[in-house]
Amino acid sequence: MNGQALITARNLSVSFGSTVAVKNVSFTVRAGSCLALVGESGSGKSVTARSLLGLSGGTATADALEVCGQDALSLSERSWQQIRGSSVSMILQDALMALDPLRPVGREIGDALKAHGKLPRAERQQRVIQVLESVRMPEPERRARQRSTELSGGMRQRALIAQALAGNPQVVIADEATTALDSALTALVLAQLRELKEQGRGVLMISHDLAQVAHLADDIAVMRQGEIVEAGVAAQILGNPQHEYTRQLLRAVPSGVPRFVPLSAASRPLAAPMQKDPAPASSALSANGLSKSFGKHAAVESASFEVPRGKTLGIVGESGSGKTTTARMVLGLQPPDAGTVELLGERFAPAHEPQRRKLREQMGAIYQNPLGSFDPRYSVGQLLADALSRGKSKRAAEYRVPVTELLEQVELSLGLLDRNPRELSGGQRQRLAIARALAPKPSVLVLDEPVSALDASIQATVLDLLDRIQVETGTSYLFISHDLSVIEHMSDNVAVMHQGKIIEQGATAQVFAAPQQEYTKLLLSAMPRLR
Amino acid sequence: MGTIAWAGRKIGGALVVLWLVATAIFIAIRLIPGDPAEAIMGGPGSQASAEALAAARAEYGLDRPLIAQYLMYLGKLATCDFGTSYSLKQPVIGIMGEVLPNTLWLALLALAAAWVLSLCFAAQAMRANRVGAWVGNIVEIIAAAVPHFWLGAVLIMFFSSMLGWLPAVDNGTTQGLVLPVLTLALPLAGFLTQLMRDSLSYAMSSQFALAARARGESRLAVFWRHGLRHAALPALGLTGWAFSSLLSGAVVVEAVFARPGLGRSLLSAVLARDIPMVTGIALFSALVYIVVMAITEGLERAIDPAGASS
Amino acid sequence: MSRTAKILSIAFIALWALIALAPSVLAPGDPLAVNPAEAFQAPGTTHFFGTDESGRDIYTRVIHGARDSLAIGLAATALGMGLAIVLGTVAALSPRWLDEIILRVLEALYAIPSLLMALLIIAFTGPGVGPAIVAVGLSTAPGYARLVRSQIRTLKSSEMLEAATVLGRGTWLRVRNHLVPNALKPLLALVTLGIGQAVIWAAALSFLGLGTPPPAPEWGAMLSAGRTYLHLAWWMSLFPGLAIVFVAAGATLIGRALGGKARTT
Repeated sequence: MNGQALITARNLSVSFGSTVAVKNVSFTVRAGSCLALVGESGSGKSVTARSLLGLSGGTATADALEVCGQDALSLSERSWQQIRGSSVSMILQDALMALDPLRPVGREIGDALKAHGKLPRAERQQRVIQVLESVRMPEPERRARQRSTELSGGMRQRALIAQALAGNPQVVIADEATTALDSALTALVLAQLRELKEQGRGVLMISHDLAQVAHLADDIAVMRQGEIVEAGVAAQILGNPQHEYTRQLLRAVPSGVPRFVPLSAASRPLAAPMQKDPAPASSALSANGLSKSFGKHAAVESASFEVPRGKTLGIVGESGSGKTTTARMVLGLQPPDAGTVELLGERFAPAHEPQRRKLREQMGAIYQNPLGSFDPRYSVGQLLADALSRGKSKRAAEYRVPVTELLEQVELSLGLLDRNPRELSGGQRQRLAIARALAPKPSVLVLDEPVSALDASIQATVLDLLDRIQVETGTSYLFISHDLSVIEHMSDNVAVMHQGKIIEQGATAQVFAAPQQEYTKLLLSAMPRLR
Repeated sequence: MGTIAWAGRKIGGALVVLWLVATAIFIAIRLIPGDPAEAIMGGPGSQASAEALAAARAEYGLDRPLIAQYLMYLGKLATCDFGTSYSLKQPVIGIMGEVLPNTLWLALLALAAAWVLSLCFAAQAMRANRVGAWVGNIVEIIAAAVPHFWLGAVLIMFFSSMLGWLPAVDNGTTQGLVLPVLTLALPLAGFLTQLMRDSLSYAMSSQFALAARARGESRLAVFWRHGLRHAALPALGLTGWAFSSLLSGAVVVEAVFARPGLGRSLLSAVLARDIPMVTGIALFSALVYIVVMAITEGLERAIDPAGASS
Repeated sequence: MSRTAKILSIAFIALWALIALAPSVLAPGDPLAVNPAEAFQAPGTTHFFGTDESGRDIYTRVIHGARDSLAIGLAATALGMGLAIVLGTVAALSPRWLDEIILRVLEALYAIPSLLMALLIIAFTGPGVGPAIVAVGLSTAPGYARLVRSQIRTLKSSEMLEAATVLGRGTWLRVRNHLVPNALKPLLALVTLGIGQAVIWAAALSFLGLGTPPPAPEWGAMLSAGRTYLHLAWWMSLFPGLAIVFVAAGATLIGRALGGKARTT
């Protein structure tokens, strides 16, 4: 707590019309340290961050709001423009969206300087290159002329950080800057933010992920429904949380939690996992030498793996590593160029569709965005009736008993029967997708990033549900994710994919404790951990 | 794709389209029951003289096998020979050379006017409240639903008959151009505004606009640097279609304002069933469409080389 | 679609159905009755919309003209859309080479502006109501066919159909339960938008003297007649045009409420 206070907010509230999005929050951002605002979607953390730039779009009131020595409550739009970019700047989520796809990144970075009109054109360009060098952008002159869509993911993140640094601000706000990035990019952004802190800037980190925050934050404030429920020194909050909600969030972090131990207090306690006869050696699902190329690009090369009955195989890899293509080949949606898939000992792919149709009932699929996989005209009841009747009927009344059973199995209220899935929350939709996949009583579920779009506490309850279903029904899972901590918690065995190849596989505990391959070590070292 | 490969593909595609249009017209002429020579000379009602029919047979090689006729027809088209208008007794290409600049000029002015109008409306709509947006929406839909021939009449009624500000007939002066251009431009502006408003509000509420504001740029700067580009792109993609609909509209507008041009020539050719003239004009407008498409695609590539918007 | 939008749409369609099917309910007079003594009457209490050069009542003619104008619009849309659905569906479902050929042909047809294409067709067939329907129908088909094709292709590769495949549904069930019903709704929007445009195009042909011949009470033909007397009797041009705008804008609003996009033809 040594640094000078750069931003001080006392009882800051932000409202939109009659809706109060942020209620009486107080915090301080100090030079050379990092404050993290942690909360789930709708907690008001982004609105809070934006109100520090005068960009919340709502009405902000406070007992005191001081931004870099100025009283922010009485600033004109012109004075705000002076502050933005040169005193306080912001790094937004998703570099692809936060940099204009139609303009070269060098111009975007230069705009920050142009807005403050300090430098002549030539010097401005020099400064742009300097900033790009400071974030270790390779070939800065060339990259400055390219548009964000032409850059690789890593370079794009660097450009995004560079545009926030161009005006040499004292405070940098990182608004979910690591959300939806795979582990290597997350590590890159976190390292950059750490560097900013070491340069003596104040960093305000907005995140929904406590584990990521743990790496960087000196202080943490936990937000829920517009209020800060608990705030304090990071070690204190993470080690000895006082508020129930903080404990709930911490508990929801899956990494290091053994299999079948619930992540959410709200979940039903599990019966002990069935340890019956480890004898049946036959696997539920096996892939042998699967390969697929698109043109010259080899998406998957000779991937082989097995999912034992009643167990989970996790496939982990970064975006573009070939995980999803593998899943599509396993599901028989894309014929492999080479290799086979066997389901319950029978050939599943490549095969003629009519021949394997009966076998399809043994394998279900869950996607990241379930809404796209539902017929938009069907209600919850109709979707389930359609699945139960093999497409012959969509009258839920005819299948009242099995529909009710399915809804109970996934802990969805019967009152949702007549709703359209569009009206459900993200967690409810995923539960519905699970219920539909379970309708034909499959032996195997293929889950492709099933919880990646969900908030931490919702993710915890869905993972608990998947655990319970596996214990109760003995369904085998092929669980695909970019999120190492989810994979660690959910998998018995794990396969690591990199550039289309499975580079390492084995028992989860073994791979996570003693990785053999350099790439796996790199991934694991970048993984945020609490425990 | 390199620029040269891209241009090669465009030219190849354009030739295929032109060839298909020409072939369709050739087949259509043969599909008319009766003597094709008579069809060319204005149908059974035209009572063309025996010599005229014989001349047509010779010119189109109608006494030769069908495939020879087809090749001869394509060969003539390839050398820009569209035949002779029998109603005007002149080569079609010459007549088109006279009237085409008139129509293209009208269409270009209307296109420019529609762009300016819709950019202004779209920018204005960004600042409107809910009622304003609703009213704007209705006005756009009505503008897009107004037929040219009626709009022309209403504008004449108002600005010419009642106010006496502008001439009702195109007399070759600049004032004479105002009403025809407006008549063509307003419905198109209705379409374009709807399109631009959507993409403009997308751009202005996007993450990159927020990032720009957070860098200290004013709303106006964000509008100029980011909003306009994104608003222009989809509208630019529609320019081929817009130009084609302007040529359709020009047929009507030239009739309403008694203005010489491609549309009027086409109309009198249709009434006289002057097939060489009609096919010449149809082929020519297809060519115009293709050229306009190529230009707009080139512009799109310049604004958005990575194809980020598609 | 919201409740209010539904009610308004149904009311709009019902009104025009009544006007087209039973015009005498709203306008008991004879649309062709000539009365030279009352020529060029301005709108007033006896003649709501005034009279034309032969003393015919414009109000009666606008109401009675709805049947012809709407029928031509509907028939042309049915023809164009029918053709478009066949071509678009075939292109979307066929192997790549056939899809490519159909696309090229559609592009070639699309390259000729709609009204010019209609005029081209009329040059071959001669003027009249039938040719006008064929001309408008054929000239709008290529644009619709491209939309239908892209719609079906999007659906074909959608996660929804993949999910049905994974659940073990055969081709027939996938097409019947998901593809067709989900393709129909946007098509309905497209048809609604198309009717508005077709009414305009058909009226344009009549206006140019190539569609319905006078003295039949068709809106485009009435406008054509009104043009001669524009300085003398503005009402002859105003009211038939308003009717067209009312129909076309209404159709556009309904089509948009059904989820159609601004761009149609």
